[in-house]
Amino acid sequence: MDKPSHLSVILDLSPTQWALCAQSANPTGITLQTFLSQLLAFLNAHIACKDENTLAVFGAFPGQSGMLYSSTGEITSARTESTDANTYRPFRTLDSTLMTLIAERLESYDSTTEEAPIGLVGCLTKALCYINRAITTSSSSVTEIEGAVASVDPRILVLSVSPDQSSTYIPIMNSIFSAQKLKVTIDVCKIFGAENVFLQQAAHLTGGAYVQVERTDALLQYMMMSFLPPPAIRQLISVPTQDRVDFRAACFCHKRIVEIGFVCSVCLSIFCQPVPVCSTCRTKFPIKTLQRLRDARPLAAAAPPTKPLAPKNGTATPARPG
Amino acid sequence: MAGPSIRIKPAGEPSKSTNISGEDSSHRLVAFLQSQSQNTLTRLYQKPSSCLSIFRLLRPLERQLVMNLLWLEMPVPASTMAAWVTREGKRPYHDALATLARLHILPQSPVKHALNPTFKSSMRQAITGGGSSGSFGVLSENDDKHPPPDIEALDAYALERWETILYYMVSSGTGQFPARPSQGVLYLLQRSRLMANVHGNTLQITSAGFQFLLHPPHEQLWELLLQYLQMAEERQMDLVEVLSFLLMLSTTELGKDYSMENLSATQKAMLEDLRDYGLIKQRTATSRRFSPTRLATTLTSSSPPLPTSTGTGNGSQAQGFIVLETNYRLYAYTDNPLQIAVLNLFVTLKSRFPNLVVGQITRESVKKALTNGITADQVISYLITHAHPQMRKNKPLLPVTVQDQIRLWELEKNRVKSQEGYLYTAFASQADYEYVLNYAKQLDVVLWENASRRCFFGSVEGHANIRGFIERRSAAGNA
Repeated sequence: MDKPSHLSVILDLSPTQWALCAQSANPTGITLQTFLSQLLAFLNAHIACKDENTLAVFGAFPGQSGMLYSSTGEITSARTESTDANTYRPFRTLDSTLMTLIAERLESYDSTTEEAPIGLVGCLTKALCYINRAITTSSSSVTEIEGAVASVDPRILVLSVSPDQSSTYIPIMNSIFSAQKLKVTIDVCKIFGAENVFLQQAAHLTGGAYVQVERTDALLQYMMMSFLPPPAIRQLISVPTQDRVDFRAACFCHKRIVEIGFVCSVCLSIFCQPVPVCSTCRTKFPIKTLQRLRDARPLAAAAPPTKPLAPKNGTATPARPG
Repeated sequence: MAGPSIRIKPAGEPSKSTNISGEDSSHRLVAFLQSQSQNTLTRLYQKPSSCLSIFRLLRPLERQLVMNLLWLEMPVPASTMAAWVTREGKRPYHDALATLARLHILPQSPVKHALNPTFKSSMRQAITGGGSSGSFGVLSENDDKHPPPDIEALDAYALERWETILYYMVSSGTGQFPARPSQGVLYLLQRSRLMANVHGNTLQITSAGFQFLLHPPHEQLWELLLQYLQMAEERQMDLVEVLSFLLMLSTTELGKDYSMENLSATQKAMLEDLRDYGLIKQRTATSRRFSPTRLATTLTSSSPPLPTSTGTGNGSQAQGFIVLETNYRLYAYTDNPLQIAVLNLFVTLKSRFPNLVVGQITRESVKKALTNGITADQVISYLITHAHPQMRKNKPLLPVTVQDQIRLWELEKNRVKSQEGYLYTAFASQADYEYVLNYAKQLDVVLWENASRRCFFGSVEGHANIRGFIERRSAAGNA
């Protein structure tokens, strides 16, 4: 029998980016309203697939993050929903809870002050914690009866509109590694804006799909075809993955995204320029090597440094954050 | 959600049960729907709730294909659709298309594919909400005098009803007279050939009935409901109304009161039957409202349809209660008469304690089960489904010796093979005997021979030839 699957959705709800997205002409933008209505149809479709499917929605707001909905009923809207015989009740609860909470949260933002960076990492870690708890409780309780395979088939879907923040490189990489360990697939849907290097890597490393939406009017169809199939079905139905992955990493010293970096030979920290002492593990490097690396730097192509971080190509594994 | 894990497929090879490539058989209801006319199905698809429930019963790949097509306005060329699946997915994909075509959800077409328009619009409505069909059940007005029943009461009610039926079945013919289910249930059991009238008017369980008892509750429920659907036509009930009511029940919420106002006359008539099966509860027979029980709300899911079995009620039975040792000894932590009666089908029970039954699986007890028509696999899958949590630490779960022995006992039953034929004896001389025997051997019809007694046994097919041969020979001898 097919297993139930768990989906955690992370919504990027940066007011500024959504405003930009709504005004954008090329590619045609999409307003937050339209996006949310299409999203709700997608979320309903996920619950519709199987009675046991579970869902959690997390919102990334400027400078904060929080859970907006969970099918285990941890978050409930204060507003009691009216009776409606035309809608399946779980759908109705989901829709009203989600919409009320998003509206409440977004209203509380002051449009005059400058927007804090988006709390995407917070969401990612919260989603992972949620999944971890779901897995451990289910494995200790009765649902485990059929053995380890019976546990939920978890995945995370990130719907992103904001650009990369290089300062979040380390926490994002850490999240990716935990996701790999938990066997969580991370899918990424980039609705607006340029390609997102870190999220691309997240999708690639966890075996998820990365979709850059080109036609926002068909957003629902994109989501249905790429993100609805649970990982088990993806053996049978092909899901778009990216053929070219940007493997660039951010350096630990200035949080810049670098093409060629210098890696500490002890702890694998990445730096954009040769340093005498590793800032992470305090290893001292010989002056001679340092000199050699400095000399080689401007002519990186002709004489590569001893330890360049191989960028761009699929062969390189990303550096482990310190 | 706590409760026993209910497997739809018999346990056994875990590799098989994890297979998602569409090799699981379709749900029973889906098979039933495939045999219905297009007209019936299209009428059924007018209700969003029916579409949603049927959709849930489809296999994973079929569901995904429906979802892919649901939001498209234009038909999709078949070649484009075929490109969606990977190489391994080819065969399941064609199976899925065939199933969907038989259900008239995706009409078969060599060039372009588009969903059945009725299904499409209802399914869209189910997912986006809205419309005015009221197909998800109208909640009744809040009434302070009669608050909706709490979930525990509903569970207890459903369980009581369901176990009454099963216990009646299992104890028929044993001389005990437990509570009789209602006349409607008895008729249904008889119609589904789970019980049969033996002498006069006593109902006795049949071999199909014994097999039924060992099935997981979910399967049992659907077996009865399908029978009910087949009966509905004879009772001049509209199949579409009956089906859509059942499917609507599966989308209702546990612990809520629903109003009867929007139901048709047929559906109101059904309430009584469903009350007997324990699918819904009504405060009184004439009440204007009904509340679905867990049996009804889990119809289209695979979560356990019955709460923790009665008895000690400390939840341990939810996880199974049987401990089986390599010495064929079986300990069942239960005081539930139904479970004990079912165990009694294939276990020799030795002693009984307030919360524990001890028994032994013996050759006699298994043979008794086999003669009742129960197969070894059914016994084993019952033991696996109800194994105690302590047993789940073992790998494999059941002791191999016991599993093998149960299978061997079954083989033993099949040791003797019967074949019809004729025995040829009383030949006048040894030469005569050998001459006929040689002829029969040439025809390859000899099954057994004994030269010292001058007789052999030939199969039915060869009889005419051998007889003709003997007659010709004796005629020649006489002449």
